[in-house]
Amino acid sequence: MIKKILVANRGEIAVRIIRACREMGIETVAVYSEADREALHAKLADEAVCIGPAPSKESYLCMERIISATIVSGADAIHPGFGFLSENSKFAALCEQCSITFIGPSARVIESLGNKQEARNTMEAAGVPIIPGSREPVYTVRGGEKAASETGYPVIIKAALGGGGKGMRVVYSPEDFEAGFQTAQKEAEMAFGDNTMYIEHFIQHPRHIEFQILADHFGNVIHLGERDCSIQRNHQKMIEESPSLALSEKLRGKMGEAAVKAAKAARYTNAGTIEFLLEKNENFYFMEMNTRIQVEHPVTEWVTGIDLIKAQIRIASGERLSYKQEDVQISGHSIECRINAENPEKGFRPSPGTVRGMHLPGGKGIRIDSAIYSGYTITPYYDSMVAKLSVWAKNRKEAVRKMRSALGEVIIEGIDTNVDYQYAILNHPDYVAGDIDIEFIERLKRGV
Amino acid sequence: MKLDNMFKKTKVTSGEKGYITLGRTGPVVPEGLLRKCNKCGSAIIAEDVRRDFYTCPRCGGYFRVHAYRRIEMLADEGTFEEWDKELRGGNPLGYKGYEEKKAGLKEKTGLTEAVVTGKISINGSEAAVGVCDGRFLMASMGEAVGEKITRAVERATKEGLPVILFACSGGARMQEGIVSLMQMAKTAAALKRHSEAGLLYISVLTDPTTGGVTASFAMLGDIILAEPKALIGFAGPRVIEQTIRQKLPAGFQRSEFLLEHGFIDGIITRPEMKETLSRILRLHENTAENILEISAEEPEGGDSSAEACRYASLKSGTDPWERVKLSRREDRPSGSDYIETLFTDFTECCGDRLFADDKAVIGGIARFGGVPVTVIAQAKGRDTKENIMRNFGMPSPEGYRKALRLMKQAEKFGRPVICFVDTPGAFCGLEAEERGQGEAIARNLYEMSELRVPILSMIIGEGGSGGALAFAVADEVWMLENSVYSILSPEGFASILWKDSKRAKEAAGVMKLTAEHLKEMNIVERVFPEPVPYTRETMEPVIFSVKREIESFLGKYQSMTGEQLTEHRYMRFRKM
Repeated sequence: MIKKILVANRGEIAVRIIRACREMGIETVAVYSEADREALHAKLADEAVCIGPAPSKESYLCMERIISATIVSGADAIHPGFGFLSENSKFAALCEQCSITFIGPSARVIESLGNKQEARNTMEAAGVPIIPGSREPVYTVRGGEKAASETGYPVIIKAALGGGGKGMRVVYSPEDFEAGFQTAQKEAEMAFGDNTMYIEHFIQHPRHIEFQILADHFGNVIHLGERDCSIQRNHQKMIEESPSLALSEKLRGKMGEAAVKAAKAARYTNAGTIEFLLEKNENFYFMEMNTRIQVEHPVTEWVTGIDLIKAQIRIASGERLSYKQEDVQISGHSIECRINAENPEKGFRPSPGTVRGMHLPGGKGIRIDSAIYSGYTITPYYDSMVAKLSVWAKNRKEAVRKMRSALGEVIIEGIDTNVDYQYAILNHPDYVAGDIDIEFIERLKRGV
Repeated sequence: MKLDNMFKKTKVTSGEKGYITLGRTGPVVPEGLLRKCNKCGSAIIAEDVRRDFYTCPRCGGYFRVHAYRRIEMLADEGTFEEWDKELRGGNPLGYKGYEEKKAGLKEKTGLTEAVVTGKISINGSEAAVGVCDGRFLMASMGEAVGEKITRAVERATKEGLPVILFACSGGARMQEGIVSLMQMAKTAAALKRHSEAGLLYISVLTDPTTGGVTASFAMLGDIILAEPKALIGFAGPRVIEQTIRQKLPAGFQRSEFLLEHGFIDGIITRPEMKETLSRILRLHENTAENILEISAEEPEGGDSSAEACRYASLKSGTDPWERVKLSRREDRPSGSDYIETLFTDFTECCGDRLFADDKAVIGGIARFGGVPVTVIAQAKGRDTKENIMRNFGMPSPEGYRKALRLMKQAEKFGRPVICFVDTPGAFCGLEAEERGQGEAIARNLYEMSELRVPILSMIIGEGGSGGALAFAVADEVWMLENSVYSILSPEGFASILWKDSKRAKEAAGVMKLTAEHLKEMNIVERVFPEPVPYTRETMEPVIFSVKREIESFLGKYQSMTGEQLTEHRYMRFRKM
């Protein structure tokens, strides 16, 4: 069993991991940058090691210093949290070379899932659905039409060298294909001097649905249900919930099975997340696999009762999974809101500063994961997320009400936050009705 | 609220604390996984160091590399053929313990001596190489080092190969006394013969290059390159400090210092080294690649006079003062713009090898339509900051001496020389006089008249006085329509003749300094019309016709012998 863990992260996730360790009787070592001397994770851990100046590159991303801190402090494992070095296969390999237990999958698995094309191929070979499209480049209308009919309408025509929306057209029916293809190809030629095109199935108004999985070193893989993370701004998730209203019991079974298949195909171990795009017609497609703990893991913990961080540590220690798939019961409904130090009215500009005073909600079914405290100064160096507020109730309607009530209680003085913005979403009729997809925030911004 | 020591710590439940468990396999860093940078002190991953060509991924500092590793970084795989591997020197002074010391080093490093020589291919180009290895008595030059280098150079001369030597040395080998000193003369002499055979020698200076090595083969390259921040000098900094009893400035005797002082052509980082050497080698090869290919594009609209009509140029008879003002505009294309648009593979060569690198002159080797040429341009800045750096295009004696050095180099390798003239005049200042501005200009006129390769000179802006002429003793001199060429500035002319520099406009009117007038007077051969306004954005039609004319210039003059060329050039000025 692991006796001492170095937490190679900061902020609320470092605190979350330290708390799990405290409960398990495992000693903890925090690492901190010069800007994080007063940070909660550095105070809460049993030991703390300064690993360099404020910029992440010099501290939280500096592998050599983190490895040295591990050796010096006598820790036998590293928990990487999320972000920073958590999905860095080179770092995982270094840990392996130094006989340090990296709490996560092996370096090889991280590397192969980090390579988009390789991951896509692995999934396709395992029978996990991927977004259909032309494998070969297309140069002519005729060739494009053929590829489009094989792919299935609507299709998106993309320039091989594309970017910024240039050389891109969505076509809904075969009659419009020729015009769309010619416009896209002309644009591509003008913008990139290249007329190589690809055809891909166009997914309309998809939801972002991800499945949490756990896999031990004995080949056991289970899934812990889904999270609906469709409320996102610029690919940054804002609100997550579990379960998703869009999944019937049957679809959940089907997608969960695909997720388990995906994890098995990748020879995955530890906690991981498989992200899918889900269409209205219940078709779903593999996007990518995240080889780490996710920010939004608390909603899964709420509805399954399983502590994911502890599960990660146990798996890394070489223990067998103590649950079988049938033991996993999804009960009630959980929602999480990310509270960021930012100003939505000024284009979500980060708002660092000193927290002069704060009040956070509590009570039954309410959880706060945060690393700020009264008098703490939020620095401009790192991510702006300062707290995660998550709630649980027996159904979605009650969960929404509980979240509204809880958000209404959050007071953080001294900095700007997105709490009011989140509160407005929780009151939006579409959100309340559960009618959401990944374009929700975009529509909200445009006032549609 | 301060949270120091407020939280209760984890209770250790294992009960093992305080005991030393035998055979415990805790985390350890395996041997060789991490290493320490000797420049910044950071712990770094050894693999990253290898990937980054033996530089520190944190501070960018350079690790010293041994000879075989250096060769591995340069040579095409499997092409290294070692020469004189077993050659070793004696003990001429009978110095006590010297033999044992060398035997010990051979044991430790596997080297028989401090230099490795042989032949390699770099991207397909063959060259003789010699690489010093600092692990063997700081690569000091004793008899064996001198002999191996000399033999490699002699063999290269015989086989017609270029030579590349990587210097890294503490200097002479004290244990061998006067015999070591003689190696300086021996290597220098071998290189002289190699040069006389018209062959290329590239010297690369790495940290450290000092003493007798600096004072012999290291400083004799046709092209001398250095790695960043390498210590390069004759006397060591400590010795100098003790002798003169002064603190030396930061950066003294580093590569950057040598570049500023004109002793090296350029500083090349390790990742760029192979490509740079390969490019230089190819520029000196007699291959099909280096033959002029006339561009296949047919000019639109026929001859250049018809082309001129396509853009709105000024009318003939425009007030010369207007043209003077146009020639001085800051947004007018400068020397570097012509280098960028007319040539490929431009490889800048800095320094006069005497005192400094003058930034008012940019020179180097490049290709024009495949043919290697030497390009030298007087350069103004594109903005005020660059203008200050380039001294507003006013060359110092160093600038003229750099230009002459590059012309002599062009002559050695049979490359045509193309000059771009754009200067208000040679720099007028105390330091310029101290270092012989007049002598430098005169020397250029003198030497250029007998240079045995074609010289083309093009006035692209201001052609101010002797400062311009020192770049224009050419087989042909061309001008852009709104460039000017004169005995001195109209302001100076008015001041000398009429004691009133404000009458510059009037002076411009009588000086016959426009391209139109100079063509009539047969001072220049060709005038290129230019659009108004003429900027980097509107250069294209000018570049188009200049390119075509350079092609025919090279076609015509490259077929002439050295005698024909110098006779032609002599007569060109004899008639004036």
